[in-house]
Amino acid sequence: MSKKIVLSLVILTLLVIPAAAPAAFPEKEVQIIVPYAAGGATDLIFRALAESTSRYLGKAVVIVNRPGGGGTVGFTEGAQAKPDGYTLTAVITPVTILPHQVKTAFTYKSFAPIINVVDDPSMFLVKADSPWKTTKEFVDYARKNPGMITVGNSGAGGGVHLVALAFEKAVGARFNHIPFAGGGPSVTALMGGHINAVSVSPPEGIAQVKAGKLRIIALFADERFELFPNVPTVKEQGIPFSMGMWRGLAAPKGTPADVVKTLHDAFRKGMEDPAFKKNAHDMSVKLFYLGPQAFEKRMAEDDQYFAKLVAEMRK
Amino acid sequence: MLESLQHLFAGFGVATTTVNLTYCLIGAIVGTLVGVLPGLGPIAGIALLIPATFGLSPTTALIMLAGIYYGAMYGGSTTSILLNVPGETASVITCIDGYRMAQKGRAGAALAICAIGSFIAGTLAIFGMVFLAPPLAEAALAFGPAEYFSLMVCGFVVLSNVTGGSIVKSLMMAVVGLIIGTVGLDPVTGDARFTFGTTYLLGGIEFVAVAIGLFGIGEILSNVGKPQAALDQSVTVPRLKELYPSLQDLKQSIGAILRGAGIGFGVGLVPGPAPVIATYASYMVEKKTSRHPETFGHGAVEGVAGPEAANNAACQSAFIPLFVLGIPFAPPTAILLGALLIHGVVPGPMMISEHPEVFWGVIASMYIGNFILLLLNLPFVPLFANILRIPKRVLLPLVMVFCITGMYTVNNSIPDIWVMLLFGVIGYTMRIGGFEGAPLLLALVLGPKLEVAFRQALMISHGDFGVFLSRPISAFFLAATFLFLCVPLVRAAARRWQARANPA
Repeated sequence: MSKKIVLSLVILTLLVIPAAAPAAFPEKEVQIIVPYAAGGATDLIFRALAESTSRYLGKAVVIVNRPGGGGTVGFTEGAQAKPDGYTLTAVITPVTILPHQVKTAFTYKSFAPIINVVDDPSMFLVKADSPWKTTKEFVDYARKNPGMITVGNSGAGGGVHLVALAFEKAVGARFNHIPFAGGGPSVTALMGGHINAVSVSPPEGIAQVKAGKLRIIALFADERFELFPNVPTVKEQGIPFSMGMWRGLAAPKGTPADVVKTLHDAFRKGMEDPAFKKNAHDMSVKLFYLGPQAFEKRMAEDDQYFAKLVAEMRK
Repeated sequence: MLESLQHLFAGFGVATTTVNLTYCLIGAIVGTLVGVLPGLGPIAGIALLIPATFGLSPTTALIMLAGIYYGAMYGGSTTSILLNVPGETASVITCIDGYRMAQKGRAGAALAICAIGSFIAGTLAIFGMVFLAPPLAEAALAFGPAEYFSLMVCGFVVLSNVTGGSIVKSLMMAVVGLIIGTVGLDPVTGDARFTFGTTYLLGGIEFVAVAIGLFGIGEILSNVGKPQAALDQSVTVPRLKELYPSLQDLKQSIGAILRGAGIGFGVGLVPGPAPVIATYASYMVEKKTSRHPETFGHGAVEGVAGPEAANNAACQSAFIPLFVLGIPFAPPTAILLGALLIHGVVPGPMMISEHPEVFWGVIASMYIGNFILLLLNLPFVPLFANILRIPKRVLLPLVMVFCITGMYTVNNSIPDIWVMLLFGVIGYTMRIGGFEGAPLLLALVLGPKLEVAFRQALMISHGDFGVFLSRPISAFFLAATFLFLCVPLVRAAARRWQARANPA
């Protein structure tokens, strides 16, 4: 009896194995873990990209939100997913910051980069009626009055908080950093005059700047912002500093190279799709393509930089 | 004001095109479904449907997505009333009297009052939006960290004994809620607190898991403990003629609905957990002003009508800061902001002049949407009320499955389910000891916000505690809190002193 069972199992296995031989990737839908809540800038841009890429990939691309712990929860799950190319992660700058701040089960090295999609400038905003008109006036005041200018950010240890820390180091000033639960509340506090400035990354604050309620006092980008061509970068004003916030896609480390290539090619086409470009433009998001190698290099550089910065912040 | 009316009429022109009416209906239906299912809330519902709006005009897209948001407020109370399972923060309070009403065979009346209350409050709040939006939004900006802290201290002290049992037990539960709220990333330094090295706890303890656990699972467990006979008799099956509320119910509720609408509209303008504060506050007000406060907690219809109206009004007034300032004060409006951005409409100070068709079209669609929702929800009342005819030995396991799947959909997280089950056991033991879940949930929501506001205020003032007293709004709330705490003490002392003075 038991022999018969064993025999039939063996036959069954033999029958099944050829059927399970690798078919062309992808056989089923691909999911992207977004480690932030639905409706945020990261979530929206990848929802739009998923929509436009589905066509080129031939299978649906779905977004799964895994918010929590400033991104830690989603990054951990993405890094530990099966490296078969069906579970990708939306990686953004904090993936190179978090591991230096809290004990995480991942670093940027746990991921195989696929493509970088966005590189947003970061900036400081002040109220339109603020006494500071130029970056220089702002920085001079900050140097003379250390710790007096309150600068809001969207969360302790988040990207724009570290931008503010890096900037004060670059100009030799000291701000009073006030963390908020997201970019919305920090901009609200600035509008109400409860803080002096806020560190943000678009699209946060754009509407208020357009309406003339807030002003860009410092723009940390290599080139001017196309929406506000009259605002000079801090580099143009003699402060050698620029820092962007990138958002891209990565698979877990160990994903086969040909699968990464298939994904990269599909998402690149998705990025070039006119409908997606229009969505990105409407959200005032700056698209910036990087291939797998270049993206990995960028992550490695930022990881090193933030390791140093966080260590100094801790002192 | 006349100009507003003219714009509004033009808005009705936009909202009543066939396409927009259709999407308004779709939004209302999806919203109702999303609200009825515990766990799946308006945020997830809106997020899922954003890609479906890519091909639509911005006005149509927003009409549908906004419909999901306020539609969910209609459906949200259903499971609270029928099964004691609060699907979201806003419907915790509805559990208290709604579930008791259902147990007495008055589920139909409770559900219908919710729909009617939501309709009246929603419509009134839209009127408020049309005429008061710009000045109110500017006023809301006066709330900085110090004001916010004092408001929450006031809310915390006044509302934690909302159900009116033992004050000591309520405060104990509030402290437990505060402690649970500290788990996760420190909001100011970014350090991990009480996470025991786990990744899961970095995200903090999920509110919905605690709410469904304490109320829903706790209720199931306490039913399991009852003998079979008692279980079958515990629910009065609704009679057909009692499916809709009586004239008496409506008369009792109308005051509560109007007061709830006012409270909700005001609180909805303040950034933060508006639905929680609004519903707790409305319940408290109804209980204090009622001629029969003893009926509260045992199926008082005002205890359902007031909070439900407050919840809907708060949901409508939350659109004011979004449209006027371009700033979302709550997660559901944050995701609506995202949806608008992707359509190239930037909400904010310029929106009403740059895209009047979107603003007024959406406002007009809200009137229509609220009406559709009322028509949609009332026929469902008998259907839902009849769920209680199912014998409990069949119904309870189904509710359990419902809770578990619903919990998973909130964050797509398995550990959340374990946390929910753990709080189910805690909820069961709390019932035995006569402890209430409502103060714990209030503290869990307000605690982390209170902490952040306190630390922010002190960081801004460079450690000077005077900031809480030197700012007028903040000082006002602290004084109100102080009076609330001292008046009963003074009264009691006066009575004792009098008694001693004339030992009759």
